[in-house]
Amino acid sequence: MMAELLRANVLANFAYFRRSRLLIAFALVFLLLTGLTSLPTLFVNSGVQNFNSLQDIYSTMNGFLLFFAAGLGLFVVSSHLRNRSLKMVFTKPCSPAVWLLSAFVSAVAVTLLLNLVVLASAVVLSFVWHLPVRAGLLFISVDTFVASVGLIAYLMLLATLAHPAIAVTFALIFNADLFYDAQMWAQSVIRSGNSSLALRLLGGLFHYLYLLLPMVHAFGKKTENIYSSLRVLHGEWRYPLFSLGYALALAAFCYFSALFALQRKKHI
Amino acid sequence: MHFRRGLLRKQVHALNGLSLEIADGDFFALVGQNGAGKSTAMYCFLGLLKPTSGRVQVMGKTPDLGSPLYEGVAYLPEEPHYHLYLTVEEATRYYSSLYGKRVPDKTINDILERLGLAQFKSLRLAKCSKGMKQKVGIAQCLIHETRLLFLDEPTRGLDPLAVREFRETLREIHQRGATIVMNTHVLSEIEMLANRVAVIANGKVVAQDELRNLLTLDRELYSVTFEANGVIPDYLTSVERVGNVVKGSIPKKRLYDFMDFTRISALPVHDCSLKKISLEDSFFKIIKGEGSQV
Repeated sequence: MMAELLRANVLANFAYFRRSRLLIAFALVFLLLTGLTSLPTLFVNSGVQNFNSLQDIYSTMNGFLLFFAAGLGLFVVSSHLRNRSLKMVFTKPCSPAVWLLSAFVSAVAVTLLLNLVVLASAVVLSFVWHLPVRAGLLFISVDTFVASVGLIAYLMLLATLAHPAIAVTFALIFNADLFYDAQMWAQSVIRSGNSSLALRLLGGLFHYLYLLLPMVHAFGKKTENIYSSLRVLHGEWRYPLFSLGYALALAAFCYFSALFALQRKKHI
Repeated sequence: MHFRRGLLRKQVHALNGLSLEIADGDFFALVGQNGAGKSTAMYCFLGLLKPTSGRVQVMGKTPDLGSPLYEGVAYLPEEPHYHLYLTVEEATRYYSSLYGKRVPDKTINDILERLGLAQFKSLRLAKCSKGMKQKVGIAQCLIHETRLLFLDEPTRGLDPLAVREFRETLREIHQRGATIVMNTHVLSEIEMLANRVAVIANGKVVAQDELRNLLTLDRELYSVTFEANGVIPDYLTSVERVGNVVKGSIPKKRLYDFMDFTRISALPVHDCSLKKISLEDSFFKIIKGEGSQV
């Protein structure tokens, strides 16, 4: 029964993704922008330039995938909540837990598919430009997918708690990367001699917010050279695994929090 | 049951000490003015709202969203808040699959055919008329043999043919032993279908009884139909005229005066009988506070 419920919900969510004008418009605008910016690079005929172009295009597309994945998680929850159609689901033997899981699974499945498409495009471009297919392409793809899993769950949680516009604003402002930089700034100012109480309190606040808020790339500092060289050392493959552990823990936390919020909402 | 609304989170009472008992096999109708609390009561029955005090039990259990209790329950909402991105066929299939069983294509096609939706099955719900959406809601209610149906304004937006067809279907379902709880403003529909009625006003049940007890005779009034020659007695009330045929009501104590009036003027009398109280009359009486607890 559970499998049938998951299947039915996932299929309905796929139909939503296929037909959501907002998501389609977002994807088209992005593809258009990427296409326009990469157009000049297609006429360059040097190996180094081609490598740089591949790296640029691939990193832009993976960045887009992260945004898009977050959008999938956000919209699949918020659109159903806002058009009040969930009362049609929860007044049948399909619990909020199953529905939320199916929303998560469908967003992750679409993200995986898009990741594979982007990876395949990068491999094709490598062949076209006579570049070696580097392991870094796969590494970045896996790393982006793993980061997307956590991001989808986080945005799903925010969508159950607030209006989508507020959720997006919150996600953009309150993220660990921003507070990491803020914490670093506060520490450097304190080190330079200004150790006022306000600054120390602010530094502490930034530190705890950095610890509390979810990270997009949990091991970003350790893997940044892979993004620039597209080369992966043998020992570096453990980082996506660690990231997966982090993303799954984050996803589990967000899932149960979102479920708690969903069960307390008035679905009328 | 209360809500908090507005910037200052002002408390609004939606239901206030509402107490209802619906027996197995009842065709139970909830009537009341707009904002009386009928839909809120239904949301509580369905577990979509948790009462702030008191308790709701459906088939002996507290309704928790999506619990196995709903295997025997179908719900038709008042507003068509459906998955608008799905087509008519997809939505019917999706809602039926939420009972955990895969429904054969033939069953889906049959129900769509029966409700006149077959030719629109590839149309997205976003592009459907209100009536068509309502039919999709009806389709998902009828596809499984449920023990308990909650219908919130079920005939709203339906064409007269569909209303009649739906009424017949409801009768069949009820005769099979299902319990039906229906919110409606269409009192004639209740007279045709329900066996028990509750009147809700200001979040309270002000009357609750068998329908037959609400459709009694008024022993103080006679309903008369006669042919008039221009003069109408002043004690005749609720006068309706069609040509020279006059229909109206007279108090019991003026019956002999009326008989003398028609005999002296040699006026043909078509009908003279104790006035039947319609559900509409009862409803107005109850709502206006003329009737106490029925």
